[in-house]
Amino acid sequence: MTPSAAPATTNYTLGKTPAYEHQPTVVASVRRLAPLMADERQRVTIAFVAVILTSLASLVAPLVISRTVDTFIQNRDFAGVVRQAALLLSIYLVSLVTTYVQTQSMGRVGRNVLFRVRNALFTRLQELPLDFFNQNKAGDLISRINNDTDKLNQFFAQGLVQLLGSLFQMSGTAIFLVSLNPRLGIAALLPAVGVAIVTRAASPWIRRTNVRSLQSLGSMSGEIQESLSHFKVIVAFNRRDYFREKFGAANTHNFSAAVASGIASGMFIPLYGLAFTLAQIIVMAYGLTLIATSQLTVGLLIAFLLYVNSFYMPLRQLAAVWATFQLALAGLDRVSAVLALESNMPVVPTSDAPPSAEDDVLTFDHVSFAYPGGTEVLHDATFTLKKGRTYALVGPTGGGKTTTASLMARLYDPGQGRVLLDGRDIRSWEPEARTQRIGFILQEPFLFTGTIRDNLLYGNRRHQHLSNDQLLALLEDRKLDALLRRFESGLETPVSATGDAISLGQKQIIAFMRAVLRDPELLVLDEATANIDTVTEELLEQILERLPSSTTKVIIAHRLNTIANADEIFFINAGAITPAGSMDHALELLMHGKRES
Amino acid sequence: MRTTALTSDPVSAATPAPHSPPSGLSGLLRPYAGTIAVLVAITVVANALTLVVPRLIANAVDDFGRGQLELATVTRELLLVALGVFVLTALQTLVQVYASERVARDLRTRLTAKIAAQDHFYVQNVTPAALLTYLTSDIDAVKMFVALAIASLVASVCLIIGASALLLSIDWELGLAVLAMLPIIGGTFFVVLRRVSKLFKKSQEAIDWLNKVINESILGAALIRLLHSERSEYDKFIEANTRARDISLGILRLFASLIPVIMFATNLATLTILVLGGRFVIQGDMSLGDFTAFNSYLALLIFPVIMIGFMSNVMAQANASYQRVATVLDAPDPPKGGTLRAELRGDVEVSHVSVTLDGKAVLKDLSLTAPAGTRTAVIGPTAAGKTQLLYLLTGLLRPATGTVLYDGRNLDEYDAQSLHRQVGFVFQDSVIFNLTLRENIAFDKAVTDESLEKAIATAELTDFISTLPAGLDTVVSERGTSLSGGQKQRIMLARALALNPRVLLLDDFTARVDVSTEKKILDNVRRNYPGITLLSVTQQIAAVEDYDQIVLLMEGEVLAAGTHARLLETSPEYVQIYDSQRSTSHYELHAR
Repeated sequence: MTPSAAPATTNYTLGKTPAYEHQPTVVASVRRLAPLMADERQRVTIAFVAVILTSLASLVAPLVISRTVDTFIQNRDFAGVVRQAALLLSIYLVSLVTTYVQTQSMGRVGRNVLFRVRNALFTRLQELPLDFFNQNKAGDLISRINNDTDKLNQFFAQGLVQLLGSLFQMSGTAIFLVSLNPRLGIAALLPAVGVAIVTRAASPWIRRTNVRSLQSLGSMSGEIQESLSHFKVIVAFNRRDYFREKFGAANTHNFSAAVASGIASGMFIPLYGLAFTLAQIIVMAYGLTLIATSQLTVGLLIAFLLYVNSFYMPLRQLAAVWATFQLALAGLDRVSAVLALESNMPVVPTSDAPPSAEDDVLTFDHVSFAYPGGTEVLHDATFTLKKGRTYALVGPTGGGKTTTASLMARLYDPGQGRVLLDGRDIRSWEPEARTQRIGFILQEPFLFTGTIRDNLLYGNRRHQHLSNDQLLALLEDRKLDALLRRFESGLETPVSATGDAISLGQKQIIAFMRAVLRDPELLVLDEATANIDTVTEELLEQILERLPSSTTKVIIAHRLNTIANADEIFFINAGAITPAGSMDHALELLMHGKRES
Repeated sequence: MRTTALTSDPVSAATPAPHSPPSGLSGLLRPYAGTIAVLVAITVVANALTLVVPRLIANAVDDFGRGQLELATVTRELLLVALGVFVLTALQTLVQVYASERVARDLRTRLTAKIAAQDHFYVQNVTPAALLTYLTSDIDAVKMFVALAIASLVASVCLIIGASALLLSIDWELGLAVLAMLPIIGGTFFVVLRRVSKLFKKSQEAIDWLNKVINESILGAALIRLLHSERSEYDKFIEANTRARDISLGILRLFASLIPVIMFATNLATLTILVLGGRFVIQGDMSLGDFTAFNSYLALLIFPVIMIGFMSNVMAQANASYQRVATVLDAPDPPKGGTLRAELRGDVEVSHVSVTLDGKAVLKDLSLTAPAGTRTAVIGPTAAGKTQLLYLLTGLLRPATGTVLYDGRNLDEYDAQSLHRQVGFVFQDSVIFNLTLRENIAFDKAVTDESLEKAIATAELTDFISTLPAGLDTVVSERGTSLSGGQKQRIMLARALALNPRVLLLDDFTARVDVSTEKKILDNVRRNYPGITLLSVTQQIAAVEDYDQIVLLMEGEVLAAGTHARLLETSPEYVQIYDSQRSTSHYELHAR
């Protein structure tokens, strides 16, 4: 017996895993965002050049105007005025183009990042095992893919260029200030240093409030999703107030979290404004004392005041950008929490196949299994399924039948022991080859919104491209056409994943057809026909009998007539799988056996 | 002044054909007029105070030049102003955040109250995916409008009016020439916003689509893994995501051209002043001082115009989103329920009822009587309308024609709460809330501990619950693996029984419960709930042979009704179904 390579149970519960509490520097934070725009270097560069040109244009234009006034208007040279006006017009035209380019290219970057991150998230969701979905709410996952990613978009589209432009302008001005008069320059920059320290100290706190706010939005989505998809119970049990209350609580919680994060992020704006005013006051007061001791001229002081202006104006803009930056990082935290999860069900290298009989299809080799946080469902189970035979799994509800079936199809990995498919550890099979061999009809059938055709051929690579006529011929060949006739518009009958237009029995019929069309070698039916009337069920049985004789069938059912034709019956209860021998013995076990569930 | 009039009313600017007033954004914001007025006042004062600082400093420098400066006094004054600005802008942030979040919270509350009052099919039709977007993304867009746009829009409009008046007062000819740019800007806004509103609506619809794809990929997670069809899910997602991106890029293109065009128009105004004003000055029609003043007031005018340009994005999105939310808010309420609160005897009657769903007749002139205390079984093939019949009896579905009667009185006359407390419904598919077992079973708040215990015992859940470490306080989850199909079904039954109902509706309850448990449970029900009217949709005749009445339903019509013995004699279809189950019925008999 080989010990399992991966732990069978992993904690996939998002939000309960430790949050990203490390204290990031600005550089480290920017570095985390950098990979997202790896393919966008060119656009970012273009945008940045455009930003610089736009700023230059807005610096040069006033100079041109003042020159026009001073030189040409004062000298009554109208031709000169017109020439200057032409120059100004060309500057304005340049800025028309560069503003467009800048908005357009950064907007594109933002949307491309959004597109890519959403795709990455969705891809990761597809790679994660079923456990993950059992542990997390759909609404919260939707919120991560739709809302949190949009925070990144907003930052990239609106914040990044502003951040770069502002930093560019600020560092230029800072150098100018200090070189003009080192002492006054440093004094002028002091409030900015103070603000930088406060910002740095406060940033983790702001991030946390932002994360909390996004989290509360996620759990509110979870509540909405749950309540709306269970709306009929809410109506029938007269609990419309439940929806209102549950949602009300989530809404109130979201309100306080959002207000907290809004205030935390918003507090930079008055703070940066204060720094600006303080800098002006410092420059004025200190500058005037310097003038008094003849170390500065009035002209220089006025110039200094203007430069202070052009240093602190972009800083004030940064206050708003910083808030979107923090929000983007918070969104990234929640997105990364999903992206960081790894499947605990990798394909393991093929181990030495133990000699197994030619006709062994599936073997449980001392398998034990427990769901995360639950008690053991299977304990040391060992049995083998032979090619072409029909097996029935019976036992009381909650006894472990569905779990056993799920392990056969590798929906989960055993905690201990191995499941062997065709003599090879099932974990060493490539998903493609494994799923090709195993057909599985789930207890709760699921249809995707679309048509019956879409659902019949869903995930069926071989028949994907059949025309409707070819598909009808195939259905006829498998004797499935009688089932299709139960749907008014045949292949084109619309179905919806969540609606009531299609009954549970009808869904089971479609799921049955879907599984049969895949020609599996091992077909598992987990109460697959529970809600189908017995006349139709007879039809399904005939179809099953017509499957190739090599097909191994595993049937879980409560209705005894469904399992009467099984070659072998396993009785599953309280973690143990025991061969029941005959139908009568199985009944005996069912009726009088020790019940532990 | 056309632009000002246009932009001061965001709704009419964005929608050429505005809705009835109360459903527009302005209608939404009316209750918050006070808060918004405070917000605007703070914004204006804070901005004005900010403008004082350079003035004070300039004065100080002038005074210094004249040797009259008292540095300490001026510094103190300046520090006071700085503090004032700080406090005011902080206050502005507080009010902005508070007001916007309150608008969002209240709108969510209103929307959920409206949804909660709707019937089941309304929610199905609008789709939960769209409702989720309404409640999150769309309301967020409205919130952004309040948080970012309102104050700056109002302040901008004030500034534009003020600066325009100043310009006209200096030189009306030149003033008019400059203000000529406003209609150009206004026209651009009008064209862009009209096109962009449609795009924003589409963009939110793409989000609905994304919601749906993600949700289905989560609900169908097991199937996807069984079929290894992650790739095709990814393709679906890519398609939706690409559409979302393309629409978003379309919006971007419009706004990326709007802002430069507006800036260019204002720049042209500067150019006009330079050339025309320059000519006036050269000709001696205008003083250089006036010319300079004209330039600086124009600078005052430019900033708010550009601000409006930026905010129009937020405004258009909020407007499109609010239109979507408003479709739910404005939807007609479902018919008002009755007021009759009466203890039911348990007579159930369906009289000549027809029901049409999606243009398809699912029940056709169906009549059925189940007297109080009797047991009725409904059998029939898949999609015969059995579930719809039960929906009809709970009011989840409304008949197109015909009536549903309890104790001889129309279902509509009853108070919904009173009726639902006496009619227990066990759905075919299991619906488990992410709550404790106790809350799941005692889902109606009126359930007492005693009736909870009785329901649990009747549903044969006592043993199962005793194996759980936390017992009844175990939290079960949305798609939890901790419960088996049969356990979920029994929880659903316990939920219905906990009401102590007079009428119990079972939809294929026995499908997922093993034979012996099924038998025990049904015996329990008879013993613990004497006199209950039972209506059971089922597939298995063996289990209901001794019922008072068996109704055979086919394609929405009653094909035959009567006792088992009678149906065996009179209905060939019934005999066919019976025969289909007979081959193994000796096992079933053995089991019973």
